[in-house]
Amino acid sequence: MSSARRVIVVGLDGLEPSIAEPMMDAGALPHLAALRAKGGFGRVATTTPAQTPVAWSTFATGVNPGAHGIFDFIRRDPKTYLPDLALNRYEQKSSFLPPKAVNLRRGIPLWDVLSKAGIPSTVLRCPCTYPPDNFKGRMLSGMGVPDLRGGLGTNTFYSTQEGVKAEESESVVAIKSDGRTIRTHLIGPRNPKTGGDQLLDITIDVDAAARKVTVRSEGQPKALDVRVGEWSDWLRVKFKLGMLQSVSGMVRFHLVRLEPFVELYASPINFDPEAPMFPISHPWDYAQELQRKLGTYYTTGMVEDHGGLNNERFDEVAFLDQCDGVLREREAMLTYELDRMTEGFLFCLFDTPDRLQHMMWRFREDGHPANHGVMHASYRNAIEEHYRKCDDVIGRAMKRADDETLFIVMSDHGFSSFQRGVHLNSWLEANGFLTLKNGATPGEAGDFFKNVDWSRTKAYALGLGSMYLNLAGREAEGIVAPSDAANVTRAIAEGLGGLPDPERGTVAVRRVVARDEIYSGAYAHESPDMVALFNAGYRVSWDTALGGIPHGLIEDNTKKWGGDHIIDPLLVPGVLFMNRPFRTQGARLLDLAPTILSALGPGKISAMEGESLL
Amino acid sequence: MKILVIGLDCASPDLLFGDESLVNIRRLMSMGAYGRLESVVPPITIPAWMCMSTSQDPGSLGIYGFRNRGDHSYDKLQIVNAKSIRQMAMWDYLATEGKKSVLISVPPSFPPRKVNGICVGCFLTPDSNTDVYTHPASVAAEIRELVGDFPVDVKGFRTDQKDWLLEQVFDMSRKHFTVIRHYLKNAEWDYFHFVNIGLDRVHHGFWSYCDPNHVDYVPGNKYENVIRDYYKHLDEEIGTVLELIDDETIVLVVSDHGAQPLDGGFCVNEWLVREGLLVLNEYPKEVTPFGKLNVDWTKTKVWSEGGYYARVFLNIEGREPTGAIPKDDVLRFRDELKAKLEATVDEHGKLLGTLVFKPEEIYHDVKNVAPDLIVHFGALSWRSIGGVGYDTIHVHENDTGPDDCNHAQFGAFILAAANSPLSGEVEGARLLDIAPTLFELGGYEIPETFQGRSLVSGKVAETGHQDLAPDREEIIRQRLAGLGYIS
Repeated sequence: MSSARRVIVVGLDGLEPSIAEPMMDAGALPHLAALRAKGGFGRVATTTPAQTPVAWSTFATGVNPGAHGIFDFIRRDPKTYLPDLALNRYEQKSSFLPPKAVNLRRGIPLWDVLSKAGIPSTVLRCPCTYPPDNFKGRMLSGMGVPDLRGGLGTNTFYSTQEGVKAEESESVVAIKSDGRTIRTHLIGPRNPKTGGDQLLDITIDVDAAARKVTVRSEGQPKALDVRVGEWSDWLRVKFKLGMLQSVSGMVRFHLVRLEPFVELYASPINFDPEAPMFPISHPWDYAQELQRKLGTYYTTGMVEDHGGLNNERFDEVAFLDQCDGVLREREAMLTYELDRMTEGFLFCLFDTPDRLQHMMWRFREDGHPANHGVMHASYRNAIEEHYRKCDDVIGRAMKRADDETLFIVMSDHGFSSFQRGVHLNSWLEANGFLTLKNGATPGEAGDFFKNVDWSRTKAYALGLGSMYLNLAGREAEGIVAPSDAANVTRAIAEGLGGLPDPERGTVAVRRVVARDEIYSGAYAHESPDMVALFNAGYRVSWDTALGGIPHGLIEDNTKKWGGDHIIDPLLVPGVLFMNRPFRTQGARLLDLAPTILSALGPGKISAMEGESLL
Repeated sequence: MKILVIGLDCASPDLLFGDESLVNIRRLMSMGAYGRLESVVPPITIPAWMCMSTSQDPGSLGIYGFRNRGDHSYDKLQIVNAKSIRQMAMWDYLATEGKKSVLISVPPSFPPRKVNGICVGCFLTPDSNTDVYTHPASVAAEIRELVGDFPVDVKGFRTDQKDWLLEQVFDMSRKHFTVIRHYLKNAEWDYFHFVNIGLDRVHHGFWSYCDPNHVDYVPGNKYENVIRDYYKHLDEEIGTVLELIDDETIVLVVSDHGAQPLDGGFCVNEWLVREGLLVLNEYPKEVTPFGKLNVDWTKTKVWSEGGYYARVFLNIEGREPTGAIPKDDVLRFRDELKAKLEATVDEHGKLLGTLVFKPEEIYHDVKNVAPDLIVHFGALSWRSIGGVGYDTIHVHENDTGPDDCNHAQFGAFILAAANSPLSGEVEGARLLDIAPTLFELGGYEIPETFQGRSLVSGKVAETGHQDLAPDREEIIRQRLAGLGYIS
């Protein structure tokens, strides 16, 4: 028996209850407070680990990660010990066929269940929906969609200053100006045949008096104005892939300054919704439809240019400006779909709260190492200000929720501080679980486990808190016998769990959980053997994620990316609001799919582990 | 290596190579080699496909077109069928090594060839409902099970019923590809060759609607994109075919000849009448096919068969029943006639650019009864009209129904194989070079009967793909770029 004709879920990625609750009480989030009063509000238990792709996949499928196969942003190949993105992969059956994107989120999403019952869904930007699912309804893919270079986003920084070095996830192009015209290029995809970059010539005309530059190219438009301190419109371009093929993309610019140096930032080159390199919507032309109705929009899975701010290519003003634009763009999609929705399920994710909190959290904490002792009072409330904007979005969407609509607002996890990073591999090394080749010491090698002596290594850490045994028969040079696996796991859990941070006098790692304690299902064997759960203020260190083994055990995080949520999930529950009364105590992400399916009629399928909250 | 030949009858290099939206074609081009492919004289479906498959020219096959003189009488014209060709084709050589072939609609293949494998009849099949058109015969039932009626051609494609024609061509094409996919998947094969005849029919039926250079082109007409759409359709179907093969396969996309706009018809027998070389007892009151004319064979020196090109015959003393050209004058006479034909002009007096060929000069051998001259009026931008009674030499309607495209000398090929040393555009390839090239890539000995040369002579790679060793760490970093959580 269905109790609703429509279910609308608005996701606010990473919205933190301990920020939202007092704001509601103070009247700062009137629409969310109204929702709380009308139906209910609770904190919702997130997944282990508390990561966006893991959490939303559990939301979508109603199962634990062991049954949907997403455990971390990063997975590893046990045959090479090398990391790779865990959200999707590309396969090519033969060289006569194009590569195909394959979603690594498995399990049965709730829109498949609805589809079988004849109920349509529209799913906007849900993580791990690339390539898009095929079901009754529409889908615009979210986190997982790459840029034209195949990563999550590589931006380009143009500067007339000599000696600028490329930082994380960016290309730097040195340019020369005669005061009027600069000849340079956009960096497109890699040519799979030559390994070289496909370039597209552009000319930048500098107009210092008008405080702008004009980017001229063969793209559309042929001449694009970019004003100092502003984000430009989109430039649509085509890159030749060899003589015969070309690929379409879109890029936008931010002109940082004109003096003393000309500095121009170019966004990652997004797939063009008109002709994406790989499908990003279902049906395939839905992405086109949105563009024709609403104008051009970002298509990459991670839209907010956190890299530009983290690398200090532009400032907080530019970043916040871009986040606002993304919020508006997403709201336009939501509104477009709300306007025509008559029945079924609608999901729309707003990622900006997550990205913005990563970058602006440091301003909340005077002692945050990322502030280097300097605070900008104007940004202290940046997160609250963004919450207010989100609340306005909710207010406008809520108006469409009638008596026949179940309206849900939620986050996938909360948020916390990231002041200190723990070098998990260095801890394993110091405690005899990981051994370096003769004579090498931590800190001498970069990423990818260089200098690790696998024949004397029992465990390694890779990804965002994931740890693996060097298991005989599974890892290429595994030495831990399966019969010994439980002992090694226990020894690591006991040693690393409760790890203190002597400098701060607090606990850095709260506990280490083993696979068997948290995962079950068809894909549990792909999961990490252990997951380290950090205390608030801590996280896995930057270097650990890709197999680095630096000096020391715990370091200050001095990057602008100063907030995070990949800690003990118990510390970062999400928020959950509904316009109908629901069981607010003990709600879990696992319960959402059963709740939605129950409201719309078909009810949950037996694989789903949660229960309806209604 | 297995061999897959995707035959696109009449595919034009410009249209095939010029459209970036043909993504599967583009991928094959970029992974392999491609180029214009010079067809035989005459560049006609029959004998061109068999010239390719045997690597022998039309003279060596003794096949000069659909209709050939059976002897030196005036009226014995024989229609070619599969049995007319006695030379060994690729599949015949492969069969001697126990290799299996699947041939689908490779002209001429009616009656069906008894190959070591499967043969499905081509457009020459009179009626696929009643005639045995497959080998083994049981294949016809399998095809019926798959697609119902199996049209071998759009009968009557020279029609003004363009909507009907379009529907028929697409319907035929979809059914053919369903059958092709079925046997690619389920038959045992080392050599798989199919020919799509639909493209030829679409060219002939719609060229004037689609080509701005055609005299009859009307901008914005409703069929303006038909040819493009059909290429797109073929590209999509080819995409599904490529899903069914592995890297141990050589893929050849190939056409037997190209296509070009047809400017008009040159009434060759009318011209011969005016030149006094063809003498009629009575000039017809209405347009009359050559076979029905009242010819004075005692005075006639030259006559011709029409079609896309002209087959010109001399009435020679001692050879023809009532020959009018003295035997010892034949060579001089023929040279003079050749010069006259080369000097033919359009209705405005402009030279047509007519090409005239002597069989013995262009073929390795001249078997059966060859034409004395083969004529491409205006390098085939003009058809040859065989009928008489037009009272003019230049016409703009076709004697066999609406048709606004003629064949062109250059077709196209794309060759992609893991062991092929060729890449990019290849110049100078000829239709007869295909079979030796495929055999060398496939690891088979090249038979002495093959007259072409291998395009990969001595250059076949020993191992598979020559991938550049990619910097794996760099690729990982690129894939994780922008994630944020890492450094």
